[in-house]
Amino acid sequence: MPDLIMKDIYKGFPGVVANDNVNLTIEKGEIHALLGENGAGKTTLMNILYGIYIKDSGIITWKGKEVSFKSPRDAIESGIGMVHQHFMLVPTLSVAQNITLGLKNKGYPFYNKKKVIKDISELSKKYGLHVDPNELISRLSVGARQRVEILKSLYRNAELLILDEPTAVLTPQETDNFFTILKKLKNEGHSVIIITHRIPEVMKITDKVTILKDGKNVATVNTSETNENELSNYMIGRSLKTFSTREKTNESKEYGLVLENVSFKSRNLKALVDISFQVKKGEIFGIAGVDGNGQKELAEVITGICKLDSGTIILAGKNINKSNFKTRKKAGLAYITDDRQYEGLVLDMDVSENMILKDYDQEPFSKNCIINYKVVREKTEQRIKDYNIKTPGINTPIRLLSGGNQQKAIIARELAAGPSVVLACQPTRGLDIGATEFVRQTLIDKCNENLSILLISADLEEIVSICDRIAVIFEGRIVGIVTNGTDLNLNEIGLMMAGHIGETVNS
Amino acid sequence: MKYTKELVSTLIIIIITFLLAAVLIIVAKYDPGMALRSFFYGIFGSLHGFAEIMVRATPLILAGLGVSVAFSTGFFNIGAEGQLYMGAIAITCVGVFLPPMPAVLHITIAITAGFLLGGIWAVIPGFLKAKYGVSEIITTIMFNYIAINIVGILVRTVLKNTESALPYSSVMPKSLSFPLLLYPTRLHGGFILAIVSAVLIYIIMKKTTIGYELRVVGFNKRAGTCSGISVYKNIVLASLISGGLAGLAGVSEIAGVHHRLLEGISPGYGYIAIIVALMGRNHPLGVIISAIGLSALQVGANSMQRQAGIPTSITSVLMGVIVLLALSKNIMFSGILKKMRIK
Repeated sequence: MPDLIMKDIYKGFPGVVANDNVNLTIEKGEIHALLGENGAGKTTLMNILYGIYIKDSGIITWKGKEVSFKSPRDAIESGIGMVHQHFMLVPTLSVAQNITLGLKNKGYPFYNKKKVIKDISELSKKYGLHVDPNELISRLSVGARQRVEILKSLYRNAELLILDEPTAVLTPQETDNFFTILKKLKNEGHSVIIITHRIPEVMKITDKVTILKDGKNVATVNTSETNENELSNYMIGRSLKTFSTREKTNESKEYGLVLENVSFKSRNLKALVDISFQVKKGEIFGIAGVDGNGQKELAEVITGICKLDSGTIILAGKNINKSNFKTRKKAGLAYITDDRQYEGLVLDMDVSENMILKDYDQEPFSKNCIINYKVVREKTEQRIKDYNIKTPGINTPIRLLSGGNQQKAIIARELAAGPSVVLACQPTRGLDIGATEFVRQTLIDKCNENLSILLISADLEEIVSICDRIAVIFEGRIVGIVTNGTDLNLNEIGLMMAGHIGETVNS
Repeated sequence: MKYTKELVSTLIIIIITFLLAAVLIIVAKYDPGMALRSFFYGIFGSLHGFAEIMVRATPLILAGLGVSVAFSTGFFNIGAEGQLYMGAIAITCVGVFLPPMPAVLHITIAITAGFLLGGIWAVIPGFLKAKYGVSEIITTIMFNYIAINIVGILVRTVLKNTESALPYSSVMPKSLSFPLLLYPTRLHGGFILAIVSAVLIYIIMKKTTIGYELRVVGFNKRAGTCSGISVYKNIVLASLISGGLAGLAGVSEIAGVHHRLLEGISPGYGYIAIIVALMGRNHPLGVIISAIGLSALQVGANSMQRQAGIPTSITSVLMGVIVLLALSKNIMFSGILKKMRIK
């Protein structure tokens, strides 16, 4: 008898069916991957199991009994824990306080700190989840925070752990360490469900895979009896497109964007320290690094949203230190932000109004402050066609478009005016594979048109697959710049991402 | 069918309001039939009643437009009342201190001065919000009290009519009066000013890059910043336009109704303007309709008081209920609408 049986789970949201009679079976002590593209319904299914959503129909059986959790509290009490993609920790509290948050330990309301810390230490020793219970969350690395989240579930006696995209924020080394932990969990008899869209990781760590597509079951297979190509075919209906290192046709000596000793302080903390690099014309220059190491600040200093404290930024041969963002845009800078819903789009406006957010104040869109809506309509329709944006119409509120189509709209808008430098921040974050490939291909095309592309991404795979040169950022410093190629040492980049100073290959 | 939904929910609101009115009137032991008759007689019974509705609607449209521009930009201007009084001060100063001149020139100067002084009164909180993040809700409310008391000081000192013992300014010269539109009623040129302003605001907000920037900032400040739109500039601009329009309401009240400055020229127009903007969904046409609707309610209530002796305070209760229903209708009526199969 399997530990968990989810049978014919159906869940609809207005306009979409997120789960269409999905089945999932988990045996005790099994690592099970829930594989699928974004929007395939993986997270919805797990949120139903965890009591965040209520299913419309279907049966969940947990340890032989039919259950229907009304809230995560019910799920936790039954021994199911979930680690969300965005961690739910209080940064100003200590590890121990976070782990016991909301629990009524013996002796409540008094807090037996000694016992709590002893229990946590025992747990972390048993599973290899190394973390100091007294440390503040805000001082921990992302990998350590993840360990705290797992400890939090284990401390609540979770027998089944649900992990949502657990490796998305980890360095390669942290990922390896994480896999070791998973194996220990398995050996101790815990079951683990991993929500993911990364096929290599599925192959490496799991026992079984259930593939979802468009809210429906595609297949459930034993990992040992399948291969990457088969999984990819299940997931997207075809094999993965691989971007190999591009043949460079033109070696330009001209620079589109140059940063010299750029420093920036945010709230009196050094966010960027002495950053220097040059992006050539016809080059994709990647900034790799774990999230939160100054990438956002770097982008905002280059755009001018934040004023740099010292250093020089040269855009297309001109010093732009003193210009504001509007002037920089007119000088040829395009900016694809990492937060498309909050920063890139005005969700309450329609598609056409969002399409002119970059150059609404320039001809032909407006003249003497009067917007020419006829031109806006024509251009919007043109861009919708060129970039294959799926929308019911140009007057549809952009909030109703899918993430991929929203991102296409931003890219269409930013690249249409003929920029010379493109600053792309996490341009494929949260996109499904089709849209991701489209975005990457667009960047490569623009690079071939002799534009300078600066790609900031926490997704190392993405950086390696399309960049010509790669810089690694750690705590606001560039710790190394390497040229991409067949001899690229991924291990070295991983170490640099964790803060080890690498060799600087200036080419 | 977007419009059917709007229509049905508006009908529901009207029905609930009338039922509640009937209950209140019966509880207070008045005759509901008589109340209803006198209510509608006040609104539709005479030319005077109709004109009176428009007279009351005029400052509500102007100030309501002002509030709606501010709301569209995410600047919660609660200070239309104070800005209205500043506009009234401006036109009075123009009338008292400037030498006689042709009416067209005189009224143009007065309108400009009223717009500017009302605008400045809102720009100060606007600047404080844009630069230092001070809550405009607090500052604009506080500025109401300051403005109202400045009027109190002025009509007793600098602007006082020395020939009278009462705290009034002297009567404005003829060149500073709006022409009457529908003699012998009180309907005056301020109504045209209000309608023209509404058209202008519509064009600015919907057809120009200025309005585009204002709306982007109103919907999502961060997206504005990330597209190179200055949040600072737009909040200051929105507060200027917003306060200016409320200032025009003050100008219109002096030039069209009171013809001199005195305390209490506004029975809370600046506050009702907030309701006008909310119910009008920040759209100029919606502002005009809701301003006329609310003033009709008040005119009807006054008639009810005169003829049936029913206190107008019942209307205040109803107004509160209408606002509640109008603002929450989408959520409150969704069940009913679903049952009626209206999407």
